[in-house]
Amino acid sequence: MISLIRSEIYKISKQSKTLYALAAILIIEGFVIMSAYYQGAGIIDLLLDNLKDSFEFRGNLLNGNLIIYLILNSLWFHIPLILMIIISGFLTSEYKDKTLETVMLQPVSKLYFILSKYIVSIVFTLLIVLILAVTTFFISYWIFGYGDLVVYLDGLNFFKSDDAFYRLIYAFLSGSITMVFFSVVSLTLAVILKDATKTWIVSAIFLICSNLLLKIDFRNDVINELFFSKLTDSWQYFFYYEIPYSTIYFKNFMLLGYSILVMVIGVLIFKRRDIQG
Amino acid sequence: MILEARNIFKSYGSIKVLKNVTIECHRGKIYGLIGANGAGKTTLFRILLGLIKQDSGSIEINSQGIKPIGGIVEKPALYGYLSAFGNLKVFAQIQGLKLTKELFYQSMEQVGLSPTRKDVIRNYSLGMKQRLGLAIALLNNPECIVLDEPFSGLDPMGIFALHELIKKLSSENHITVIISSHIVSELTDLCDTLYVLNDGEIIKSGSTAQLIKENVTTFKISGKNLEMSEVLKDVSAVFLNKSALVSPKSMSISEVLHKLTKEGIEITACIPQTDLKALFGREPV
Repeated sequence: MISLIRSEIYKISKQSKTLYALAAILIIEGFVIMSAYYQGAGIIDLLLDNLKDSFEFRGNLLNGNLIIYLILNSLWFHIPLILMIIISGFLTSEYKDKTLETVMLQPVSKLYFILSKYIVSIVFTLLIVLILAVTTFFISYWIFGYGDLVVYLDGLNFFKSDDAFYRLIYAFLSGSITMVFFSVVSLTLAVILKDATKTWIVSAIFLICSNLLLKIDFRNDVINELFFSKLTDSWQYFFYYEIPYSTIYFKNFMLLGYSILVMVIGVLIFKRRDIQG
Repeated sequence: MILEARNIFKSYGSIKVLKNVTIECHRGKIYGLIGANGAGKTTLFRILLGLIKQDSGSIEINSQGIKPIGGIVEKPALYGYLSAFGNLKVFAQIQGLKLTKELFYQSMEQVGLSPTRKDVIRNYSLGMKQRLGLAIALLNNPECIVLDEPFSGLDPMGIFALHELIKKLSSENHITVIISSHIVSELTDLCDTLYVLNDGEIIKSGSTAQLIKENVTTFKISGKNLEMSEVLKDVSAVFLNKSALVSPKSMSISEVLHKLTKEGIEITACIPQTDLKALFGREPV
């Protein structure tokens, strides 16, 4: 199993698409920072225009913490989409190039092989989120400096700079669990569909539907609490004044459960299927 | 016996791909599986290699090794973005084998590839990929290897080199080799035993020499002044450019050749022409 994981890591490290994934993430980050640099102050003024009559704002609200929060919001769509494309490719490229056949011609357990794919995908996802977080914090504070964070979440919420720093870190940590869920789903879709283009399309549809269903009220408490799409926003809860830790823990725990369930389905399908050329 | 597949059946929906196929392979011998395209050769090989499951029937491989059987199905499928070393490293690693420099050099030299080449293998020719695929199949010393259409797409020099390599593996390493092809000439010089697969059924099997002998009715004789020969006219030969096709019925080919020599005809070649319809079909010759 360890040797399978090591060989998967070796393959990923040698593939150019890994670099493309990193580049895509840094480009998104760069765009957000660039837009904020040139237009951010104007947008902040527009947002807070009315409040300026009633409140006194000290310091610069267009600061590193706000930029980090803006980049954090790429966890809604951009980052999971990139992750789903890259991670499903870990398996679909093996189907396309028929290297999966060559692997299965060696004395290798199908179970361990697919498990190693899932494990490496999860590690890769966590690494991408870590790189995103580290570069975001570093670049945002370097260019825009520190300051209080203003967030619109059921109204405008203000957090002191130190408080915002920890909330942003926790949000990235919590968001990484959501990213793991989407990555595991994409790999399972790759197991089922085998073809790269089909997997990308279905992954994108899954992500869009998941985001849409998050906003829909099912008028049923059980579904509203337990349905997977209702669990993918735990990282946003760190931007309420009172952080609802129990809700965050519950959502993350359930989402991990869903991830394991989706992984088990993928493993069972992969194990049962013939390796066809 | 190293490998025994008995009463194998396989269907895809209503299409019966393999019907009651039985093959037996002994240690150190070379076996050929011949049949037209779509006869079921690749499906049988996939079953032997454990890639797909048969609907019924049994497969027994008598080997205590870590890797009882290795092989290549259709084209060698390798990681194009890795070098030969990278490919061997990955495939060695997944089966718990450490690819040392010595093992790498040994594996590459065994299949006649240069171990000093560092570029990615997408630059390799098909013949070189076949050889690398074979080196991967031979990792962990399997006692039996299965090669599906290994000569497909190779030039004559590549075919000759692969022939020599397979012979060496069989004679020196005592590895059982099972090869499939739809081209008879690719297997006749190489295999000890032939199985003929037609429409999912083994319709003929036996020693290669015997099967070929039974299915050769025509010979292509090349030489000088063939059209002057009375013997060839007597056996209703069909004259081509500097050669003649002979299907002798009233005498044996050796008698024809003897009489030609007596007539003073200088013969440069006599090549048996396998009757493919007879070999692949169900009708007795």
